[in-house]
Amino acid sequence: MKTKRTLLLLPVVLLMITALFSFKKYTESSPYKCMIQMKNYTGEGAYIVISILNPKGEYEETLYVQGDDDEWYFDITEWWNFQGKKRANIDAITGATISGGERSISVIQIPKDKVNQGYKIRFETAVEDQGYHKDDVEFELTSENLKSKLEGKGFIRYIRMIPQ
Amino acid sequence: MTISIWRFSHLTLAISATLFITVASLTGIILAFEPISNKINPYNVVDTQTISIAEAIAALQNEYEETITINIDENDFVIANIITKEGKSETIYINPKTGKKVGDLIEKSPLFEFATNLHRSLFLKTTGRFIIGFVSFLLFLISITGTILIVKRQGGFKKIFSKVVKEDFNQYYHIILGKWFLIPIAIITLTGIYLSLEKFSLLPKNKAIHEEITQNSPSSKLKPTEFEIFKTTKLSDITALEFPFSSDEEDYFNITTVNKEFAVHQFNGTIITQKKQGLVSLGSYYSLILHTGKGSIIWSLVLLLSCFAILFFIISGFSMTLKRRKSKTNINNKFTKDKAEFIVLVGSETGSTFNFANAFYNALLKIDKKVFITTLNEYTTYKEAKNIIIFTATYGDGDAPINANKFIEISKKIKQQNILKFAVVGFGSKAYPEFCKFAILAHANLQIHEKFIPTLPIYKIDNQSFESFKIWVKQWSFNNQLVLNIHEEDIKKTSKENIDFKVLEKTNQNVDDTFLLKIKPSKKVKFVSGDLLSISLKNENKNRLYSVAKIDKTILLSIKKHEFGVCSTYLNNLQLNENLSAHIQENKQFHFPKKATEGILIANGTGIAPFLGMIKKNKKKKIHLFWGGKTKESIKIYTDLINIALENKSLSTFKSVFSQEQQEKIYVQYILKNHAKLVVDVLKNGNVIMICGSIAMQKGVESELEKIVNTHLNTSLTEFINRGQIKTDCY
Repeated sequence: MKTKRTLLLLPVVLLMITALFSFKKYTESSPYKCMIQMKNYTGEGAYIVISILNPKGEYEETLYVQGDDDEWYFDITEWWNFQGKKRANIDAITGATISGGERSISVIQIPKDKVNQGYKIRFETAVEDQGYHKDDVEFELTSENLKSKLEGKGFIRYIRMIPQ
Repeated sequence: MTISIWRFSHLTLAISATLFITVASLTGIILAFEPISNKINPYNVVDTQTISIAEAIAALQNEYEETITINIDENDFVIANIITKEGKSETIYINPKTGKKVGDLIEKSPLFEFATNLHRSLFLKTTGRFIIGFVSFLLFLISITGTILIVKRQGGFKKIFSKVVKEDFNQYYHIILGKWFLIPIAIITLTGIYLSLEKFSLLPKNKAIHEEITQNSPSSKLKPTEFEIFKTTKLSDITALEFPFSSDEEDYFNITTVNKEFAVHQFNGTIITQKKQGLVSLGSYYSLILHTGKGSIIWSLVLLLSCFAILFFIISGFSMTLKRRKSKTNINNKFTKDKAEFIVLVGSETGSTFNFANAFYNALLKIDKKVFITTLNEYTTYKEAKNIIIFTATYGDGDAPINANKFIEISKKIKQQNILKFAVVGFGSKAYPEFCKFAILAHANLQIHEKFIPTLPIYKIDNQSFESFKIWVKQWSFNNQLVLNIHEEDIKKTSKENIDFKVLEKTNQNVDDTFLLKIKPSKKVKFVSGDLLSISLKNENKNRLYSVAKIDKTILLSIKKHEFGVCSTYLNNLQLNENLSAHIQENKQFHFPKKATEGILIANGTGIAPFLGMIKKNKKKKIHLFWGGKTKESIKIYTDLINIALENKSLSTFKSVFSQEQQEKIYVQYILKNHAKLVVDVLKNGNVIMICGSIAMQKGVESELEKIVNTHLNTSLTEFINRGQIKTDCY
C-alpha cells in the first residue's frame, strides 16, 4: 500500500519540480527576436553559434546553435573546445543553417541578470572550407545594444535584436 | 573516328571511375528513397493552389503570437516558423487554412544523413567533393562515348532506337539500358557537375540586384490580410514569405518565388523592390530538384532505376571486357611470317572468330604445314607464302572489326613478291542487314589485286554455325588437296554430353518416306518446340539436326528417310523402347515468342514438326498453319494432331496444298497471296511469321511476303526480319 502511495506522489513531485524550474527560467530570462543577415557568399550554409561570455571572457552559456549536423561543430573551434569538454544539451536551441545572402530570425532567451553586468554576447560563424570567424559579431550585453543593428566582420552582414 | 578510340576511352573512363561511381550509385539508391519517404507524409492537408497568402496569414495570426516565416517546400508542405502564445519559437508543418500544427519537421534519418555525406564527399570533405564532382564529369563522358558506340553499332544516329540484335545477355542489356537511361544519366551527371561547381564557387557570380519599383509609399495603413498582392497570390505560387522583422517602416515582407524576389511594404502592401533570380541561381534550383528528385516520387523512381542501371553497366561492361580479353587467345606462332606457306588472317570483334581461325590453324599444323596466324591489321609481306586465308567478322553497319580496320588500306600499299591464292570466310548474323559486309569488301579488294587469285568464292557463316564451317573446310581442303580434320570440340571447349532417349512410338513410312518418331528423354531436360535434336552417329563426324516438337514432355520428330541417308535409315530402324543417344541444342531464334498473340506458321514436308509442338502447347494465341506436301496421302500422318488442335481451337486455321495432285505444281507459298490481309495484320500488330522446311520453300515464301509487304505496308520485308517477326529454320 505504501509503495502505491509513493508511486502516486511521484508525478506530482515531478510536476512541481518542472513547474519550479520553468518558473525560474521564465523569471530569469527574456525573449529577444534576433535576425541574422548573411553576406552574399557562395557555398555551404553557415554554422553559427551565439553564446554569452562572462566579464572574464569565458563561455557562460550557449544561447543558440544554427546548424543541426554535429559532424561539423568542430569547425566552430573556440566554442567546440569549450562545448566539447562539457557537453550541454543544445537540441532545443538548434536551427537549420542558412546560406549566403539569406537571413534567419530566431527567438533567443537572454538571462535578465546578465544584461548590463559586463557580459558579452558573441556570434561565431564557420562555413565549410571557407573559414571561421571567432567573433563575427561580438558586443557588450547592454539594453541599449540589444535594440540596435550591429555589423558583422565575417559571414554575417549585420544582426538586429529586439525584445519580444 | 574508329571504334577503337571510343571503346578505349569508354573503357578507360569506366575503369578509372568505377570505384567512385559504385559508391555514388549505391548511396544514390538509398537516397532516392528520401524524397519518396518525405513525400508520402500526410502534411499537405490543403491544396496550396486554393489558398491565398492573406488567408494563411489570417489563420496564423489567429493561432500564434507571431509568425516569422512561411515556407512551401517541394512536397507542397507548408512550414511555418512561429512564436507561440507562450513565447516559444517553433518550426512546424501547418495547415494553412486553420494555422494548426500538423506535424514536426521531418528530421533527416541517420541513414540518409550517412548516405548523403558519403554520396557528396566520401567523408573526405573538400577532397571528396572534388573527386565526386570530377567523377560526375567522367560518368558524363562515359555516357557520351557509350552513345557513340551504340550509334556505331546500330549503324547511324537515325537507327539508334531501332531493334538491337540479341547475341549476348550482358551486351544486349548493356545497349538496351544504355538507350533507356542515356537521358536520365546525362541529367544526373550534368546536375551533379553543376552542384559541384556551385560548391566550389566556380559558377559566374549572381549579379541580380533588387530594383526599386515604388519610391514614396502612400501613407495609408492596411492590415497585411487586406493587401492586394496577398489576396491575389496563392501559396502554391511562392516558395517563402518572410515577415517584417520589426514594425519599423524599412522592414518589409519578403516574398520569394522560384524566379523572383519581392519586398512588400508592411503598411500598405505595395511592392517596394523586386529582384529577378539570375540564371545561375535558377540553374542551382533546378539542378538540385533534378539531382535529388525532391518533391516527385516518379522522378525519384527514375533516379533509383538509373542508379541500378549504372551498377548493371559496371558489372556487364567488365564481364564483356573480360570475355573479350579471354577469347583473344594468345597467338603463339610456330613459324615466322616469312617461313610460313599458309597465312591465316583474322578480324574479330568479340573473339569468337578467333576460335574458328585457331581451329583451322591447328588443323594445318597437324598435317605438318607451315602456318602463320595473325590479325588483319598486322598484314604485311610474306616471303614464302602461297596461300592466304581470311576469317573475319563484321561490326555494326558493315564496318571492320577493331583489329581489321586498317587491312583494306594497307593491302593496297604492301607489295607481295609471290602470287598468292586466297579465300575469305565471313562470320556474322543474318539478323543484321549488312551480313558479312566487311568480309565481302575484303574479298572484293583482294580480287582486284593483281597478286591475288581466289581459290573459292566468298563464304558466309551465319551465327557461328559449325556445320557450314565444316562445309567450307571441306571445300577448301579439297581445292588445296589437303585433308583437314576439325571437330566441333576444337572450337567450343564445352562438349555437350549426349543423353539417352527412349523410343515411345514410331509410325510407318508414308508415301513420301516420311515417318514420325516419338521419343522420351531419360533425364530431365529443358527444351521447347523449335529447339534442335542433334544426333551424331559413330563413325560419322557430322551431326544431324532435327527440329523438335515438344508434346507432353516427349519429343516428336518428323523424319524423311533418304535412300542412302545414314542417320534417317538408322532412326527408321529403331525399335520401340530402344535407346537413342543425342542431345538437345537450344535454338532460341526459332521459339514462338511468348508475347505474340497471333502467328502464321508456314512449312513444307517434315518442317511441320516444330509447329505441331507449338500448336499443342497453345491456349490463347491465334495460330494459322500453312502446309505444303506432295500428295493428299502425305498429310495422313499428321491429321490426328491437326484435327484435335482445330477442335480445341489451339489451331485457328489450317491450309494445305499438294504439289502433285494436279497438272501444275502448287506450292505452299502460292496460297499466301490469298491471305495478304492476314499477313499484313499479323506483321502490323508486331506478331510473328515462322517458316520451317526447305530452303527453296523459304525463298519462295519470302518473295511472296516481300510482295505483300511492299504493296500493303509500303516497306521492305527486311525490316520485319530484323525485328525478329519473321523467323526461319530452313535447311
